[in-house]
Amino acid sequence: MTDVVATAARPATPDWVRRLPEYLMIWVPLLLSAAHLVTFSLWTIWISFTPSTLVPVTGWVGLRNYSAVLVSRNWQIAFDNLLLFGSAFVLLSLMTGLLLAILLDQRIRGENVLRSIFLYPLAVSFVVTGTVWSWLLNPGIGIQKLVHDLGWTSFRFDWLVDRDMAIWTIVIAAIWQSSGFAMALFLAGLRSVDADIIKAAQIDGAGPIRIYRRVVLPTLWPITITVVVVQLQFAISAFDLVRALTNGGPGIATQLPALVVYDLMFQRSQLGRGAAAAVLMLLILLAVLLPYAAWRYVRQRRTTHA
Amino acid sequence: MPITTTRRRLLAGSAAALAFPAFARAQGAAKPRLTAISQWSAGSDGAAITALGKKFEEKGGVWQHSPVPGFTTEMMNKLRAQIIAGDPPACSQLKGPEIAAWSKIAPTVDLDSIVAAAGYEKVVAPDLAKLHKPGGKWIALPLQIYSTNMLFLSKRGMDKAKADKIPVTWADFNELADKMKSAGMNYPLANGGTRPDDGQKFEASFAGISPVAYRAAIMNLDKKALEGPEIKAAFAQTRKIADWCDPNVGAQPYATNLKRFIDGDMGMMIQGGWAQGVLRNAGFKFDDFIIAPGPSDNGKPVFLLNADAFIFWQRKEADLQAGQMLMAQLVMDPAIQTMYSQITGSIPVRTDVDLSGEGWSDGQRRTAAALKDAVANNQAVLSLAHNMAQQNGLTAAMIDVLTEYVKNKTIKPEQAVTRLADAVEGAR
Repeated sequence: MTDVVATAARPATPDWVRRLPEYLMIWVPLLLSAAHLVTFSLWTIWISFTPSTLVPVTGWVGLRNYSAVLVSRNWQIAFDNLLLFGSAFVLLSLMTGLLLAILLDQRIRGENVLRSIFLYPLAVSFVVTGTVWSWLLNPGIGIQKLVHDLGWTSFRFDWLVDRDMAIWTIVIAAIWQSSGFAMALFLAGLRSVDADIIKAAQIDGAGPIRIYRRVVLPTLWPITITVVVVQLQFAISAFDLVRALTNGGPGIATQLPALVVYDLMFQRSQLGRGAAAAVLMLLILLAVLLPYAAWRYVRQRRTTHA
Repeated sequence: MPITTTRRRLLAGSAAALAFPAFARAQGAAKPRLTAISQWSAGSDGAAITALGKKFEEKGGVWQHSPVPGFTTEMMNKLRAQIIAGDPPACSQLKGPEIAAWSKIAPTVDLDSIVAAAGYEKVVAPDLAKLHKPGGKWIALPLQIYSTNMLFLSKRGMDKAKADKIPVTWADFNELADKMKSAGMNYPLANGGTRPDDGQKFEASFAGISPVAYRAAIMNLDKKALEGPEIKAAFAQTRKIADWCDPNVGAQPYATNLKRFIDGDMGMMIQGGWAQGVLRNAGFKFDDFIIAPGPSDNGKPVFLLNADAFIFWQRKEADLQAGQMLMAQLVMDPAIQTMYSQITGSIPVRTDVDLSGEGWSDGQRRTAAALKDAVANNQAVLSLAHNMAQQNGLTAAMIDVLTEYVKNKTIKPEQAVTRLADAVEGAR
């Protein structure tokens, strides 16, 4: 009793003092990382307009670095590959992830074990994924040789050394790596669907396929968009996987923008052009992220107004 | 009384403590010290530079070598960081035209007097010497030489094809490869599929067809030579080489094929002299293979130079300056070059070193003889694939075209000529 009185008698601590730990926890790291990100981005943008080669130098060359990058064969191939790899990888990993999630959602035995197996590739670094797949897909030692040794000698699976198909080996490895991630998110979405709605649908006489198509899947839209955005930003910045799997080859058939940036900056010592390529990558990323941010903003407004 | 003693002791002690660093510094000034960075950390390269460090210490120096393992470019990133920070190493690995490029971003040491005193210029291949004195002054010193276009022949492969003549011209080479193919070898050539390997296939073809055209087109970027008939012939020869290689090798290095090469499942390989060391390290004997100069259509050896070198960065410290002079003397010393090349399998930079003695292989002797002949006939040219002919940016742009041509069999030689000329234009 006396305690309560004493507390009440004490002058109230100002609100901001009480919330100080919260502010410190949130704002200090946020500002630090933002400062890092923003300063280095601005610095890269500045470098992309200078004639820097071996070391950063001051000066102004206008858009010359950009035009040099844009007309180079390396960048053109990289950009085409990005379009192909990005769309194929995102669509296929989405579909695989959804399929796995639906199958796992059937309350099967050993679900935990299966879920860990499908999620496991996510714990492996991309370099390891790339290296392992480069062995599996190598026609001389991998899958093709295995099938040959089993007796089917006309079997061909040499995408890794085929210029036109090599980009698909990256798609395969990337899907293996990250469809587990899509699966986990979808599974969480499936599990959060209200059981009453499903029961109502069942009572109305809907079969399982119809329930999924008409009732469950429409509720997964927000998750789908999140998965697409996360996978796309991975696709755009993909580097280590390609480097370990094909290293841009055969020839320069599997170049991707991140490889071009690294190559220009550190192999060719053309910092200005490398920075220009990096800025172009940033623009591609923004082209994905800005619509996403706009969509979230609109949705948030709609929910608060509803 | 005891207090005074303590005070006196204390005073004496602090005086000594104050004086000691100065004393140490004075000692250090007399003692040459060298800070060096290179990518050589393991294998025969690591062993060779460690041996060089031992010699440096025997001469009373302090050897401070920090290797940056991995690609040359990673070593360069460290060098770049140190230069920007204003603290370059006294000496670092660097090679080819990069010496000229990097010497523009930080002051280097003028080595002219010490090089003249050693009479070194007379015994170095002229094109090589030029690379190490970009502004007319020696600022860097070559350490060892490899040829990138040596012809490796598998003894068992030769037996299988019932051949005993070492090919001299590209026509001989093509004939032998056909012979090997009809003797049951699916892939007579054991080359790999890395970028430099693809570059080597082309430069060996081009320089072997015409060292004069190679010098004009690749080293001097002469527009006419870049579109001439010789370069087209070189692309045609490169295509033949590519067709004789195992397509499954993808982007893997030649080392993956060594067993098949020694077993005689693959008969030949166009590779740098360093492959000798790799073959020996893999446990193969000198009897298993033959090393000869790469094919040359005029019959005289053509030598595609690849040389490692040290560049010396200006430092104010007296001990580092003394260390740089000592290092320069050691690098030019024939005994040191002998020691170094015998470890790595390269050949000495000096053309006056006698390789008849023990410790040298036949391959090294043939390489050194080829260099001497090539220099005499002005057929020693700089390797494109190993960043000797052009700076990294231009080299990479050209290798892009070459590696794509090797891998994409639908590109015609004349298309490749245009693409190469365009790439040169775009990267300049």
